[in-house]
Amino acid sequence: MRSVVDFAPEDVILDRAAILGSQGIPEEAELTENFERIYGEAIELFKELTEPAGIICGISISGFEEVFRGEGLNEPSNPVEDIYRKSGYLSLFAVTLGAVLSEKVTELFDSGDYASGYMLDSVSSYAADKLSDLAARNLQLELTAKEPAESQWRVLSYSPGYCGWNMSGQKKLFEVLRPQEIGITLNESYLMSPIKSVSGVLIAGSGKIHEFVSSYHFCDTCRTKSCIERMRNL
Amino acid sequence: MELLEQISFNLQNGLDDVVAALTKDAIEKRIPPGEILSDGLIAGMSIVGEKFKNHDIFLPDVLLAARAMNGAMEMLKPLLIKEGIPIRGKVVIGSVKDDLHDIGKNLVAILIKGAGFEVIDLGNDVPAEKFISAAKEENAHVIGMSALLTTTMPVMKKVVDLAKDEGLYGKIRIIVGGAPVSKEYALEIGADAYSYDGANAVETVESFFPVNN
Ligand code: B1M
Repeated sequence: MRSVVDFAPEDVILDRAAILGSQGIPEEAELTENFERIYGEAIELFKELTEPAGIICGISISGFEEVFRGEGLNEPSNPVEDIYRKSGYLSLFAVTLGAVLSEKVTELFDSGDYASGYMLDSVSSYAADKLSDLAARNLQLELTAKEPAESQWRVLSYSPGYCGWNMSGQKKLFEVLRPQEIGITLNESYLMSPIKSVSGVLIAGSGKIHEFVSSYHFCDTCRTKSCIERMRNL
Repeated sequence: MELLEQISFNLQNGLDDVVAALTKDAIEKRIPPGEILSDGLIAGMSIVGEKFKNHDIFLPDVLLAARAMNGAMEMLKPLLIKEGIPIRGKVVIGSVKDDLHDIGKNLVAILIKGAGFEVIDLGNDVPAEKFISAAKEENAHVIGMSALLTTTMPVMKKVVDLAKDEGLYGKIRIIVGGAPVSKEYALEIGADAYSYDGANAVETVESFFPVNN
């Protein structure tokens, strides 16, 4: 089943420590008055301008196999393949914060207000990432409500460009999911517009299926290593 | 506090209006523009750079100082040119074709400009040919390229290859950066350098000079 998901702006939780952490700022750091002002203003602007939206589309394991195969460029051995085969439910997804935020970031940079532009971009990047977590959590709640006895459902998102799933996987994913309906488009280099968008698959199953050892050769060049935190939180 | 010290001090605090007014004052008092630049603006920016390295301040504070620096530079630039004081060097920068993410590139451009270089920002989605033609037109010393995804990185190689075809290779320095780019990739395509962040990009560009001066 394919459906558009309505998020309310207040659904996007902004965690100050995590946002500052993504800027390389430790929690105990002393911040200048200027910094605090810019941060506060960016949070307000974000709340005013964010237009969160999402789309999900349930898919069978065999259907997803086709999407995942994509252009045949995935790493021959990768964790996503092992995980989705063990799943109980799969759903393609795409989420976005909309174009207005990025337009505002550009406007701030163009007017010379670099600090505010950078801060708004940083808050938005964090929020976009969290929006995909929110889509996963919503699906987890939905599945658990349907089968309360089996409350072992753990849903995590996996995206092209991560964990050996080649970026070109975006092509098939877009063909099936058609997130253009919520304003997300893909260019020839597989870059999505609006920039603050995330695509991928929500994989539901027991917590155990999501566990893997991040020692694949491509893990060396992964810049986020977010799998470690994700597995810790299962 | 002496006027140039005041410029440095207020620049460190990111007070662009105050820095602009003080720079105007210094120009009117006929302080040589080279001195305003080195003992006021660059002196202030160096302290900002030090504080940033020591984690006493963070990027937004640096960007406020850079804004103040850039505003004052606009006033000083015609005077520096008139006095024959060379600009530190010219950098043509952009995000490569199909790449619509430009925050990283913007930050790098602002910081390089803040260090006293002239920066020609070509924006995002810049085709390989445009990097080369702009570098030629502007007599640039450095070409800087940024990419967000591995899928747009091949344009970087195309620029290096075009630079070879056009006889610019070796004369002009090429620096690449962006989340998926690495030192190994820079080496592989024949770029002169890779930088992992804005501060490192400034150091790298500084290390190129004097080039062709
Ligand atoms: C000229 O000389 C120079 C010198 C230095 C230069 C330079 C030029 N250009 C840049 N630099 C350097 O200096 C700048 C200032 O310090 C820096 O510029 P940056 O632009 O890197 O820095 C920005 C100011 C802040 N940094 C960032 O904004 C990127 C940070 C990371 C964590 C990241 C984020 C935050 C996001 N992302 Co995504 N994201 C990752 C990133 C991993 C990482 N740790 O870098 C990366 C870039 N993402 C990736 C992916 C795959 C994706 N992301 C996506 C989405 C997102 C978010 C929306 C959640 C979010 C914001 C994205 C954005 N750009 O606005 C998707 C694509 C989005 C799109 N529009 O198409 C998606 C495709 C996932 C998906 N399927 O949805 C990976 C790309 C892998 C690849 N193969 O290319 C990735 C490297 C993570 C990973 N797997 O390791 C340096 O790189």
